Amino acid sequence: MKIKGTPLTALLLLALALSVSALAATEFKSMWTDDLFVPAPGFEKHMLSEWFDGLKGTPADNPVYIQKGEEPGGTVLILGGTHPTEPAGMMAAVLFLERAKVSRGRLIIIPQTNIMGYSHTSPQEAHPRSISFTTADGGKRTFRFGSRLTNTLYEWPAPDIYIHPASGQQLPGKERGNINRCYPGIPDGSPTEQMAYGITQLILKEKPDLSFDLHEASPEYPVVNAIVAHERSMELAAMTVMDLEDMGIAMRLEPSPKNLRGLTHREWGDYTETMPILMETGNPVQGRLRGRTDEKLALTGVDKAYVVASALGRLYIPYDGKQTIEYRAGRHTTSILAFLDNLDLLFDDKGVSVEGVPNLAELEEKGLGFFLSPAGR
Amino acid sequence: MTLIYRAIVLFILLLVVACQFREKDFWKQTTAALVIIPLVLRLLMIK
Amino acid sequence: MDWFFPEGIYTIAMVGSFVLGAFALKLPIAIALAAAAAVGALCGGAGFPIRHLVEGTFGYLDTILIIASAMIFMKSVQRSGLLESLAARIIRLFRSMPLMLSLGLMVIIMIPGMITGSSTAAVLTTGALVAPVMIKLGVPAVKTAAAIAMGAIYGMIAPPVNVPAMIIGGGIDMPYVGFALPLLVCTVPLAVFSALLLVYPYLKKGAGDEEALEEDLSRMEETPLTAGLLMPVILLAVLMSGEQFLPSVWPPLGMPVNFLLAALSSLLTGKKYNFLEASREAVNDAIPVLGILMGVGMFIQIMTLVGVQGFIVVSVLALPAWLMYFGMATSIPLFGAVSAFGSASVLGVPFLLALLGLDEIMVGSALSLLAGLGDLMPPTALAGIFAAQVVGEENYFKVLRHCFFPAVVTAVWAVVVIMNANTIMGYLP
Repeated sequence: MKIKGTPLTALLLLALALSVSALAATEFKSMWTDDLFVPAPGFEKHMLSEWFDGLKGTPADNPVYIQKGEEPGGTVLILGGTHPTEPAGMMAAVLFLERAKVSRGRLIIIPQTNIMGYSHTSPQEAHPRSISFTTADGGKRTFRFGSRLTNTLYEWPAPDIYIHPASGQQLPGKERGNINRCYPGIPDGSPTEQMAYGITQLILKEKPDLSFDLHEASPEYPVVNAIVAHERSMELAAMTVMDLEDMGIAMRLEPSPKNLRGLTHREWGDYTETMPILMETGNPVQGRLRGRTDEKLALTGVDKAYVVASALGRLYIPYDGKQTIEYRAGRHTTSILAFLDNLDLLFDDKGVSVEGVPNLAELEEKGLGFFLSPAGR
Repeated sequence: MTLIYRAIVLFILLLVVACQFREKDFWKQTTAALVIIPLVLRLLMIK
Repeated sequence: MDWFFPEGIYTIAMVGSFVLGAFALKLPIAIALAAAAAVGALCGGAGFPIRHLVEGTFGYLDTILIIASAMIFMKSVQRSGLLESLAARIIRLFRSMPLMLSLGLMVIIMIPGMITGSSTAAVLTTGALVAPVMIKLGVPAVKTAAAIAMGAIYGMIAPPVNVPAMIIGGGIDMPYVGFALPLLVCTVPLAVFSALLLVYPYLKKGAGDEEALEEDLSRMEETPLTAGLLMPVILLAVLMSGEQFLPSVWPPLGMPVNFLLAALSSLLTGKKYNFLEASREAVNDAIPVLGILMGVGMFIQIMTLVGVQGFIVVSVLALPAWLMYFGMATSIPLFGAVSAFGSASVLGVPFLLALLGLDEIMVGSALSLLAGLGDLMPPTALAGIFAAQVVGEENYFKVLRHCFFPAVVTAVWAVVVIMNANTIMGYLP
């Protein structure tokens, strides 16, 4: 089909390309607005730059919420949103942020750990831009669904190979934007490395006894429905896995590999005194076998491609046709609550008592939105 | 480094536009238009 | 039927509209891909999703910067007279040693791919350098291009840098450590085989018309080969190796900057030429490929959006065990039609997970070799397209025809390596 091209057609096509760019730009920019969180009474909002002032005024500066109970006790840190494509991790942290009443000890929460990953979605993943929940009063709460990696704009150009500064480990260059490969971080590194450094500084100064990093994994990946524990956290984790087993929640327990560097469960353990715990649930929307990709998949995990893959014996989770966000976030909240009980048992003076956070059964019964504060409050 | 790369994007974008205007085939001009879109959005640091 | 509907229909709609556009309507491949993506989105009930279509293209933004700057570099060293002068020197030195020359040429083609992990870089740098040499020595242009394309792919898979292996390893949190020997097992025998098959027979026979060759050589040597003339190539080699081997002190400039600096340095030496004009011509040559990458990006994003990706991956995983190796050897290169890196991620990772129990490093290496073959698969066929371009062949399918047999041997070798992964690893130190 031959058509002659002239400077006029070139001009028209250029104008068309620019209009498409402008339309796309408005859609991309819609992810630049911060999400709304409604912290429970008692939480104080801080910024990560209070622990590392190199982050001040940069996109890596990130809200940190702290609630102190009346009674003295230990300190627990919960990170959600290390990987924005793993929404149950963020939502579990949000449930603690919006529901928790701390009576003893101190609770520190960062709901969107890689906040620079929330302002974009990754090319060719076709992920939704947000997920929404209906609250108890019929209102709507919306949270962004971002990318596993820091927004390219802040990490561009990526190196060909990312060399982890502390170990020399080589990874594909784009992994420099994966905060969970950057720990312990460096103060003069890339924005993501600086943010990891800020979190390490927070841990060094606030000395949390127990620190959670909440994730999700593809159902076809072996480390799923799992707790990954550093040597120091192993005893506590083993006790908790047994308790969860009693509650009917099957959980794998994996020791943190010594040669896989830059991850929370390795570097927090080696560079700070906290007990690191990383947890994974099964999340079809980030899997490579997933079918149609949209908000519904992120919220329900209903996917016929995973049904077939499960029948073929390819999955590492029991998959009955769905993996709702209530189930996934509920596994996280229930596990954290079980950890808190055992922390109290194992270390008398380090207990942290938290009430008001829904467990798996309550979330599955009432839905996650029921436990979120109405936006207007 | 980001500024250097933005300059490279601008340089290539201008070359692509120049080629588009000299091109005598409509479909090749359209191909150039496809390439222009992401270059513009990155140049302006929108995506 | 439940499995097939509706994703199977979407697949047919997308592939069908691509074929219709590219072959019946004779649209450029880039346009046919973009149109097929739009059709897929429409069928899949996603309307005309501008955000998804545009977002998909960003998967290749860095790639198009590399390609465009590499093309500018190639055009510059052509214009400065370096390419021809250097080729003439190599011919004079090694004309009498055909076996060594065939293997040596293969190694030269592979080196930039080994260092950068990109087959495009290999084709457009040393590939472009050796192409005139090989043709002058009597290797037919299309076979020259085939040898360059194959060598570039083996270079991209050979250590130290192999991006598909990193991607596949990253998918199961396996660090990129201990891959050097397995990757050499995957590539060295094949590189030797391809050199002997595509290059050696012609070098042995000689060019035939010695007088014509001599005439060509003296014309090619018009610009004398001085250290100064060689500067762009030396500079590029230094920039690329510095970044690879001294990462702690070397600034991470990245390939586009390396190529452009080397291209600019050619202005200081050899014949005078207009840099802007050369760059414009280079980009003009590159636009069809850049456009294809944009189209591919849109196509993948829509495939993922409407569920075609999961449909294909799970269908391949559902193959019975005896068909699985065949499925792997065909589907990974075929999916590489969209992109070798995409194939490593989309199919390489599930296959590696399906093969847990065999040595993961060896299997990952062999899967990366299959992914590398994707660079030969039309419509993208980056290695094939550029190899055709450096020998001046307009129809890259003619080049791919000669790559077919070595590619099949490559796929078979990859499967053999996978099936015997544990045994082979046992023999390695």
